[in-house]
Amino acid sequence: MAMEAQGQGPNFSTRGASLFQAIRDNSAGATPYLFLLPCLVILGALLGVPLYKVVEYSLFDNVIIKPDPIFVGLDNYSNLLSDSGFWSALLNTGIFTIGSVLGHLVVGMSLAMMVNADIHPRARTIFRSLLILPWIFTAAVVALNWQLLLNPFGVINYWLGAAGIINEPLDWLGDANLAMWSLLLISTWRGYPFIMVSFLSGLQSVPRELYEAAEIDGANFFHKFWHVTVPQLKPVIYGVVLLDLIWTFQLFPLVWLTTGGGPGRVTEVLSTLTYRLAFVDFQFSQAATAAVSILVISAAFTILYLRNETRNK
Amino acid sequence: MSNIEIRDLVKRYGTVEALHAINIKIEPGEFAVLVGPSGCGKSTTLRMVAGLETISGGEIVIGDRVVNGLRPKERGIAMVFQNYALYPSKTVYQNMAFSLKLSRVPKDVIDQKVRAVAEILELTELLERKPGALSGGQRQRVAMGRAIVRDPKVFLFDEPLSNLDAKLRGQMRVEIKRLHQRLKNTIIYVTHDQVEAMTLADRIVVMRDGHIEQQGTPDEIFHDPASEFVAGFMGSPAMNLVKATAGADAITIGDTSIPWALPASISNGDTLTFGLRPEDIRPAIDASEVSTRLTVTLELIEQLGTEKLIYFTVGGHSFVGKAEGRADLRVGQSIEVAFDMVHAYGFSPNSGARLR
Repeated sequence: MAMEAQGQGPNFSTRGASLFQAIRDNSAGATPYLFLLPCLVILGALLGVPLYKVVEYSLFDNVIIKPDPIFVGLDNYSNLLSDSGFWSALLNTGIFTIGSVLGHLVVGMSLAMMVNADIHPRARTIFRSLLILPWIFTAAVVALNWQLLLNPFGVINYWLGAAGIINEPLDWLGDANLAMWSLLLISTWRGYPFIMVSFLSGLQSVPRELYEAAEIDGANFFHKFWHVTVPQLKPVIYGVVLLDLIWTFQLFPLVWLTTGGGPGRVTEVLSTLTYRLAFVDFQFSQAATAAVSILVISAAFTILYLRNETRNK
Repeated sequence: MSNIEIRDLVKRYGTVEALHAINIKIEPGEFAVLVGPSGCGKSTTLRMVAGLETISGGEIVIGDRVVNGLRPKERGIAMVFQNYALYPSKTVYQNMAFSLKLSRVPKDVIDQKVRAVAEILELTELLERKPGALSGGQRQRVAMGRAIVRDPKVFLFDEPLSNLDAKLRGQMRVEIKRLHQRLKNTIIYVTHDQVEAMTLADRIVVMRDGHIEQQGTPDEIFHDPASEFVAGFMGSPAMNLVKATAGADAITIGDTSIPWALPASISNGDTLTFGLRPEDIRPAIDASEVSTRLTVTLELIEQLGTEKLIYFTVGGHSFVGKAEGRADLRVGQSIEVAFDMVHAYGFSPNSGARLR
């Protein structure tokens, strides 16, 4: 009887070799985990270890630059929270993130509805291809192009001047009053295609009969948008907006390559602050602390996103 | 109640003409059913009446107004869609109230109307539910309720029962018929189901390939078909249609000659398509004295309960007839069947037109 019992299930009484025995005995249950193992190992190495190190660095002083870092507990966090630069960056991040996501949402949804219109199929394909272009450029190319466009001697100033809208060229990226607006413009241009494509696929799954029924019920364009399109796209909107929030919140290259956080600190966001602390000021502990703050806020958005995804299944 | 007149209605998609000068006149309060196979143009016609498709040619008149240029909401119509098209995010009450709300009808009037219609359709208990929590039959009733609440001049139904199972379809058919008797609105109803057409319609319009094959009362369509297509389309099982040759007061099917008082337009030696409904072919024991009798071997028997369908061959052509449900018949049995030739039809083998 005892022998039978041992043969039927895993026995963890002797560790080491018995683990493999357990996997072998319970092959049906263990097999999926074996397939996942390589992925888990790679993810652990590439994500888990750096993540652990960043959190560890945030609890020490003089990391990387000195061989004997000192454990300071949460001192770095209290320093960060008492730094006005951090709060200013956090505020800028909030403005930049919300402004960008709103921009993506409005432009993306409007364009999705336009390219979903009943026009000639070839024209539709051309419009869709053109409108998706901003997505395929790297951030460096986008930043460079917009720097040229928004330059005081660039095309935009020239056009605005020619149209009589401005009297003298504006320094869009260098003026403290205009820099954040310019950054939002660039971010909107760069980010709307993702929203447009997501909404377009959502729009295509809305039954045409719902619009027809609404039309017979006497609905105009806005009624149809509000009573048919929005409710039908609600799950898509929520998921896509959360995803966009997560991405935009952490966005670094576009900001760094266009304004570099300036002029002064008016466009400094948490990601550029972290970079500046680490690679300009060489305060790696403070940089790690700022990075952990980004991690915590992003994790909150991610949890919301995952909850939404689970609810939609 | 409004009359509807469709005059020389044409629909073109690019260079392709899908509807060819359709003419239909529907009296006020009449229940008209457009029936035909897929792609015959019945739904397109309905959608053009609704204003959901543009009109390439001709006129649609509802009441005394040409509605060609009017938007759907201005035409005084309500439509029930095949997939119900209920707003998923709204409750049954909100679905039914939506059109009235858009028309800025006072809230208390909306409430009164919605509850009155819900009462008629037995939806009162479901008013706070969303469409996702309703069965197919309940959704269908809500779709009808949404249409009724608007108090339209004309109801348009686009294959409203095709998503329901057979039993529910039968029940809903009766409900629609009752509703029409009660409300007496003009209705255009599209279906591919000839049973629905026969049971519901005051007037049936049989369509094929963008043309009207025949229009008339169910009796006219069933008992006096204008073409081979109509004869074959209406009736279940379909009419027996076989190639035959006319003789002197008889027709020959393969090697079998059957006496028949030929219609005037058929001459001796003509080839034709001979038609006889399964209802007019019965075992001789059930038949009248005047019918023509043939001895056949039963090849297949389908028990339908109240009756049996019997399959056999005459002159190399397969025929189906009907027998009593309790008739003691078996496959392989040789029996005498009676062809009631008084109800036989002849059709042109080329055009399919009825030979009278």
